[in-house]
Amino acid sequence: MTEDNGKQVAGESAWLDPSVWRGLTQRRMSRRGMLTSAGAAGMAAFLAACGVKGTSAQSGGATPAGGVGTAAWWAKQQLHHRVNFGNWPYYIDVLKGKHPSLEHFTQQTGIRVNYTEPITDNLPFYAKIRPSLQAKQYTGYDVIVMTNSSPPLGYLIDFGWLTPLDRSMMTNFNRNAGPLVKNPSWDRGNKYTMAWQSGWTAIGYNSSVVPNPGTSVDILFDKKYAGKIGMMSDPQELGSIGLLKLGIEPATSTESDWSKAAQVLKQQKSDGIVRAYYDQSYIDHLKNGDIVVSQAWSGDIFQADLNSKYKDLKLLIPQQGAMNWTDNMCIPMYAQNPKDAMALMDYYYTPDAQAVVEYYNDYVCPVPAAKQVLLHPSGWAKTALKQMAPSIGLPTSKTADAPTVFPTEQYVKASRQYYQYKSQEELNAWNNLFLPITQGA
Amino acid sequence: MLAPYLLSLPAGLWLLILFLIPLVVMLSLSLQTCNFGTGACVMTWHWAEFGQQLSLYHTQLLTSVWFAGAATVIDLLISFPIAYWIAFYGGNKKNFFLLMLLVPFFVSFVIRTVVWQFILSDNGVILGGLKHAHLLPQNFHVLATGYAVVAGLAYNYLPFTALPLYVAIERIDRRVLDAAYDLYATRRQAFARVILPLTIPGLFAAFLLTFVPALGDYINQQVLGGTSNTMIGTVIQNAFLTNLDYAGGSALSAVLLAVALLGIFAYARLLGSRTIEEYL
Repeated sequence: MTEDNGKQVAGESAWLDPSVWRGLTQRRMSRRGMLTSAGAAGMAAFLAACGVKGTSAQSGGATPAGGVGTAAWWAKQQLHHRVNFGNWPYYIDVLKGKHPSLEHFTQQTGIRVNYTEPITDNLPFYAKIRPSLQAKQYTGYDVIVMTNSSPPLGYLIDFGWLTPLDRSMMTNFNRNAGPLVKNPSWDRGNKYTMAWQSGWTAIGYNSSVVPNPGTSVDILFDKKYAGKIGMMSDPQELGSIGLLKLGIEPATSTESDWSKAAQVLKQQKSDGIVRAYYDQSYIDHLKNGDIVVSQAWSGDIFQADLNSKYKDLKLLIPQQGAMNWTDNMCIPMYAQNPKDAMALMDYYYTPDAQAVVEYYNDYVCPVPAAKQVLLHPSGWAKTALKQMAPSIGLPTSKTADAPTVFPTEQYVKASRQYYQYKSQEELNAWNNLFLPITQGA
Repeated sequence: MLAPYLLSLPAGLWLLILFLIPLVVMLSLSLQTCNFGTGACVMTWHWAEFGQQLSLYHTQLLTSVWFAGAATVIDLLISFPIAYWIAFYGGNKKNFFLLMLLVPFFVSFVIRTVVWQFILSDNGVILGGLKHAHLLPQNFHVLATGYAVVAGLAYNYLPFTALPLYVAIERIDRRVLDAAYDLYATRRQAFARVILPLTIPGLFAAFLLTFVPALGDYINQQVLGGTSNTMIGTVIQNAFLTNLDYAGGSALSAVLLAVALLGIFAYARLLGSRTIEEYL
């Protein structure tokens, strides 16, 4: 997307219907649903006997105790020159085992970054940090990255387990953040989060085996490729594509729509069309030929496509639309180095840093201006991009022109949002429909 | 008078802390209602949880029993000749042969299974070559089938079958065999009427040590299986770790436990359990 487009979007005019972006993959659980948990806290004493810990979530939810996150609180915080950043695997620039964008940050600020990749799934990671948060202890991370399409981000916000951001340390964000990630529906006013990357759940296919994939999600249901088709095991992803297949908008779907979608997906399975329901490993199976068509995350396919060995892997954004999600940086409560965390998060809103990340990553860039850096790099970014070029093997202009990185109108229009569960019962209903499919017998 | 009770204290405590309490917690959890966000659970005596989970996942439970049973039978058939040969003909190299049996299992369980995935991959070293030579149709695959899962289970649990069998066969008094031959038993008769009955406790121990862990296994199916052969272990693992559905996972665990116990009791009644404890 060019800067010009960005302005149009911000002005809510022209080709981009703002409602498309509004609430793209909103967090899935309303505060109301969560408040029922407050009653649960009363049972904590009894439950302790049975080994299950009650919650310590503040009734009233989002306002953390002790004035954490207020301007006065932030004014008292100091830089510690270290920060613990927990991210997803393969999600940042790499050069010979190091991360150039992080190294530049350390050089510039003197803040050492302990970069780890502990997050491979939202719920399991949430389950790991939750006991610390309930005990009001440091989780070990100052910055974590959570997806808006999965319940934990909403849990963290509703339970007051995220530190409200320091408004005074968001200079780059305010200046450079794109319209897609500014003031998103899942975190109005960016009170708690800044986007790390976004992406689509679309369809990946091997063009040497599937020369004519068409333009529809029907390719995932094509008997011609029976046994060679991969679907995702995540119930949100699976259910959503079932709804798209029926031409139903996932965000506004009803429980009876879900049953219909489950029927279609069950049929797809009993017809022997689906090879397996995959997590992140689908990309390996797509690469080694075990499957030839699969639900896929946009960046994975683009990254693989760059490698000459997997040139045949292509991405299809179907006419029914593709689910769009955003991974968000946030600071868990009781973080030891919140000010360092703020500095780091805001640093990634410099076009230079994002350009370096995107050259490796190829997910949707939250900073539209990074496109210009990729086309005409200068300064440290130029050096870093140049050093990375041999291992990536393509000019930076290729990334700048990729519609999956800087979305075109077609991609924006195709974006669909996930359903937002309004209660625990709805989440259970969804899971009870789609989980048994992925775990079929 | 108190001494015997005091002496049983360590074992009693062990049983209480590591077996009885977790069991009660699991059963209690299966009747509670949990909030996925907070992880807080409230006792609601929600017996319907069992019915609901069973209606959603009974086929996966049956698949598990079927796969674990098949893998156990395969293991017994493979292990018996091995154990028999080592015990009777291993000579002074018995320990070496046993070690050879165990060496592959020094590698981590998951790694071994993943390597099988690599070897059996559709276009991998074996199938890829055979397909290239047109000995197999292009869409032939082993991975993602029930056969692959049963084979993986059989491979991974083989030592748990072979070792108890070896112990049972090893301790057969050779003079009993000699006596059988003195009484004009053929080799086949000696095997069927002397060796086999004497190894029954070993067979039972082998069955237990293979069938029960295989029943709850959740690695082989995930790595080698496909869509239509999910085992209950995978469902339980996902319930606990991926979906944070503690009540549902507990209910399924309780059902699995009941199924395993039923199987064991049935087997014990069938084959007798007189000297089992010697082998376990």
